[in-house]
Amino acid sequence: MAIETPKAHLYHSINLEAAKSKLGGGGRKSLYQNLNLVAYIDMMTVLVIFLLMTFQATGEILFVQKNITLPDAHNWTELERAPVIGVTKDVVTLDGRQVATGEELMKDSATGDMKITELHDELVTAKNNYKLLHPAEDFKGVCIIQSDKNVEFKMLRKVMFSAAAAGYQNVNFAVRPKARETAAPGGE
Amino acid sequence: MSVSVDTGAKGGKKPLNADLNLVPYIDLLTCMVAFLLITAVWTQLARLQAQQKGQGQAGEETPPELQVKIVILVNQEGFNLVVGPDQTPIPKKGTDYDFERLAAELKKAKEGHPDKNDAQVASEDSIKFDTLVRAMDTALQSRFPDISLIDSGAAGI
Repeated sequence: MAIETPKAHLYHSINLEAAKSKLGGGGRKSLYQNLNLVAYIDMMTVLVIFLLMTFQATGEILFVQKNITLPDAHNWTELERAPVIGVTKDVVTLDGRQVATGEELMKDSATGDMKITELHDELVTAKNNYKLLHPAEDFKGVCIIQSDKNVEFKMLRKVMFSAAAAGYQNVNFAVRPKARETAAPGGE
Repeated sequence: MSVSVDTGAKGGKKPLNADLNLVPYIDLLTCMVAFLLITAVWTQLARLQAQQKGQGQAGEETPPELQVKIVILVNQEGFNLVVGPDQTPIPKKGTDYDFERLAAELKKAKEGHPDKNDAQVASEDSIKFDTLVRAMDTALQSRFPDISLIDSGAAGI
């Protein structure tokens, strides 16, 4: 038996001239078209490289709140997880919840008490929760103050005082990192 | 009996062009792009560490030669750098604080007290946070890694 060159067997039963002529071969152009994937793969590769270079294993520890413009700093260190106190001219928040207004903080207390009661109480609760959840670890007393750069020290002082009274002595100020400056010649 | 299979190449030779199967590669790239986009950190944030120490807390157990206090007093007129008994006023340049001179004076202070690592930034109430951060940044740059931010009244000057 002679072996023949393979050829299309489909559509012989279909009595449609157009379908036979288009799909049944017959020496005409095939309907299958190869997509050119080179540009697509190039783009994906560049995107993957860019995302891998900007990848951070630590993840996003805090989000910049609205109305807060952070100051820049050159001699920064990496953020670590801690309660976040947001300070703007209008409001003070702890982990997103409002604990005082700017107007209250700018007033001079008649008794000279600088403690923000709600902030202090919530920080004490956070400290107690940390101690309950991490009984084997020492409490470091670290909190992050995320303050707008135009806020006056008078507001910050009350926030820091309340944090210190609640046991948070180590304050981290959130900043926008800039390129680290090298030490002056002969410095090190 | 002979078998003749048409391979598509002229003269019956095998074609040199081969199609790579790119589907797994595209799958991998798509998964990586999706994962990296989800876990991407778009806002880069960092921290400046400061402590809250008042007068008398910093040097209780330190030897006498390390009890020289270095205080950067920030007020509306500019800076006043206090190194032990010496005070160096650093007035503003126009409306801006003179951070370059502060850095130079802090460098001198560090050369005079190389073992001293702590410095206090003491601020008046009306000073903006941006100025304080830049002052702390300057102190850190001058190799004073232990920075405290305190009220100017607590500095005891």
